[in-house]
Amino acid sequence: MIPLAHGIGGVRDLPVPESFFFTTAAIVLIVSFVLLGALWRRPLLESHADGRPLPSPLSRIVLSRALRLVLQSFAVGLLGLALATALFGTTTDLLNFAPTFVYVIFWLGLPLLSVTLGNVWSVLSPWRAIADATVWVLELGGREARPVLDWSERWGRYPAAGALFAFVALELAHPRPAFPRTVGIAIALYSYWALAGMAVYGRDVWTRYGEGFAVAFGLLARIAPFAVRDGRVVARWPFTGLGGAERVAGTLVFVAVMLGSTSFDGFARTSTWQNVLGDVQGHFAGSSVRVVDLATTFVNVAALTAFVAGVAMTYLAAVWAARALVHAERSLVPDFVLPLVPIAAAYMVAHYFSLFLIQGQFIFTLISDPFSRGWDLFGTVDFAPNVTIVSPDTVWYVQVAALVVGHVAGLAIAHDRAVALFADRRAALRSQYPMLALMVLYTVGGLWLLSRR
Amino acid sequence: MDVSRRTILLLGTAVLFVGGLGLASCGGGGDATSTSETEATQTTTTETEVDKATVVRVDVVNGSPKGEIVRETVDKGNRVVLVVSSDTADEIHVHGYDISRDVAAGGIARIAFRATVPGRFEVELENRGVQIADLTVQP
Repeated sequence: MIPLAHGIGGVRDLPVPESFFFTTAAIVLIVSFVLLGALWRRPLLESHADGRPLPSPLSRIVLSRALRLVLQSFAVGLLGLALATALFGTTTDLLNFAPTFVYVIFWLGLPLLSVTLGNVWSVLSPWRAIADATVWVLELGGREARPVLDWSERWGRYPAAGALFAFVALELAHPRPAFPRTVGIAIALYSYWALAGMAVYGRDVWTRYGEGFAVAFGLLARIAPFAVRDGRVVARWPFTGLGGAERVAGTLVFVAVMLGSTSFDGFARTSTWQNVLGDVQGHFAGSSVRVVDLATTFVNVAALTAFVAGVAMTYLAAVWAARALVHAERSLVPDFVLPLVPIAAAYMVAHYFSLFLIQGQFIFTLISDPFSRGWDLFGTVDFAPNVTIVSPDTVWYVQVAALVVGHVAGLAIAHDRAVALFADRRAALRSQYPMLALMVLYTVGGLWLLSRR
Repeated sequence: MDVSRRTILLLGTAVLFVGGLGLASCGGGGDATSTSETEATQTTTTETEVDKATVVRVDVVNGSPKGEIVRETVDKGNRVVLVVSSDTADEIHVHGYDISRDVAAGGIARIAFRATVPGRFEVELENRGVQIADLTVQP
């Protein structure tokens, strides 16, 4: 496929017009300052995170063993189908089930589900399902499933960040990320990573710290208006799950991978980056395809890394400035990392919303003939995707709206943390100036990337 | 209770504020884009009157486009003819419209289509994974 932009996809968004850019940037600035002065004085999020329990019959159905079994079997089935089609189906990217399923349905659909419904990955993760089944079989045989090695808290979420980076590097830096065999090898490798980690360190530990998707969807699910508390489903205000500090090491790097990769994806489709890649490829013009691919991948990975590092560095600088302004005794790094989660979610919506709606439709055709062998399993093989389903201006409105909502949510969460941290209201306010600057940078930067040609 | 009610009120005001500004800006935004659209259509009317196609020529040397990536903007509904001459054998792929055509070493590939879908589209040498053109279709 393409050496730039998301792993798959044909119709790309037109750049956001300049008028949108300036108006939204102005709104972002004004709203930021209004909120800074007008927001609440006592922390609200953490005390509201528990929400209200839903009626217990509903809770019982949603959390029932039967439903869990059905969903987990479904997930394992899909993993099997994706692996089989990727390895043995057609080698034409868009006629094979796996690339569209992995890059569009899975990678764009699950964040959406997590943000709206909560942590659905806990029952939709095929790897978790396989681990659960293995433990069940072991226990049936009278043996106890115990982790082989102990986990050290110091490792934090770095393994998960590494896993997610590997995935986004495949998606955004590889010369042909949607080539079915490549997708197949990636699925196999990632399955090994997920299953081996669970076997060695235990299911729960690896889900929390090592399985990149579980951590990503878990963080996004904290935005959701639903959660599970003490065996019951609770409804709560959106974003309340993001209150408090996040002391798990590596969380900043993890969120930086989420934010940095989406922004790099935006940057990769600008003519600036297209020209850089063109120059690199021109430089190796006489060489074999392999050399050109390697050079392209190398340059892409370098830029992707720079974007991730850029996000982490700007955050560290802002937090350092906040600490200096309030003369805090300890580092504030764990305190303001969760406000970046809604911004990461907003970036994903802004960049991938149209791709999901347009490219996602192809799954209806693909599911009927996943190997491209002329089958018609569900009678949907003739389904004609509507590639003009969203007009360019709808896309622009959704993009700027997502960025503004993410920005306001991020600011509010940071503010809530500040008033929880500092008894002195003026200190709380002072700590928020650098955070405000940081979020304006992320939001206007994201907007700027969307408006580039 | 009191605190949370005030929060809701404040948030509500903020949302209204953003919404209002957004609505106000749509008028402005719409105006700005429509003027640029009329300009664009004016320049291309001479072509569309006789339904002449916009020809995009790409010269591929050593597996990459000669000079820079070729960029072209057309209006929705226009005809586009992509002419690629290449010294390397490969497959030309127009993304989104999903049209592929093989080109032999030293050969020329012609791809003609009507630009019915707005957006940005990459044209690439499929096997080398090299982008050669960037087509923008204005709504």
